Amino acid sequence: MSRRFLARAGAAAFLALAVLAGPVVASAGVPVGIRVIKGSRQGPAEVDPRLDDLKRQLSPLAYVRWELVRSEKLDLERGKTEFVPLPGGDSVGVTMQEQRGDVVTFEVSLTSRNTESRLTVEKGQRIVHQVTPEKGGEALFVTVQAWP
Amino acid sequence: MTSCPRFAPLLGARPGELSSSEMRALEAHLATCERCRLAAADLAVTDGLVRDGLIQKANARDFAPFVDEVMARIAGAGPARHLPAVAPAARGLRAWLAGHRRAVATALAPVLAAAALIVYVRQQGQRPGQVAMLELASEGDVTMVLQTSDGPVVLLGEERT
Repeated sequence: MSRRFLARAGAAAFLALAVLAGPVVASAGVPVGIRVIKGSRQGPAEVDPRLDDLKRQLSPLAYVRWELVRSEKLDLERGKTEFVPLPGGDSVGVTMQEQRGDVVTFEVSLTSRNTESRLTVEKGQRIVHQVTPEKGGEALFVTVQAWP
Repeated sequence: MTSCPRFAPLLGARPGELSSSEMRALEAHLATCERCRLAAADLAVTDGLVRDGLIQKANARDFAPFVDEVMARIAGAGPARHLPAVAPAARGLRAWLAGHRRAVATALAPVLAAAALIVYVRQQGQRPGQVAMLELASEGDVTMVLQTSDGPVVLLGEERT
């Protein structure tokens, strides 16, 4: 009797934990959209249609021609760094430092320049980070957006 | 003598089995028939032997463990009698919970812990203020950040050679 009750109680507790803690476990990883884009000062002013959502954010910059080089979606776990390869062999490290509700903090690290940026954005916002110095009027940028 | 077959079935009757008229008729017949009186006496002796044997058999059985078990059950159900007057279902639930305190605590502890964790996470997630927080560390280069409503734009400075 008592053993059967304990088994039932354990099963009930497990079910309750699964139901209640499910959202917490599920929120351990954050889906992130990462794009590598190239900005050019020369050429006709043109923005890749796939970058339309970035137009307003890119408009203050001196670069007039924008094209998408690479796009990928990752599931970033807290503290785990994902490396995004860049044309030319270099790479950018992106780490999710913290997530609280709709607010998430990313760290973008450029090993070639010993530069680390820790940036906090909320859902709907994105980070545009220059990742290579300008050469010949062109530069590479990385955009990071949580829950794309 | 000719009426003996009629009274023979009545000879072994138990007290109360015969009607008053049957008893009177049987007594009248036994008073006149010696053969039936002897048969009735034999039946009485046999019946007595069987009863004594059954009683001895019953006495040989030890009922003490059975009595102890019944008394223990009565004692275990005792506290329920002292509960205040509440609905039978509530009284039964309370008695059941009182009898399974450890099991209930074991089941509730992880549930309460999970609920507390969820409340904590949600409170943390609802912190007001979404102003972008920037921390930049750069060696030797000047880094510029443009704040836009769509998010920050980080620009690298000229490389020093």
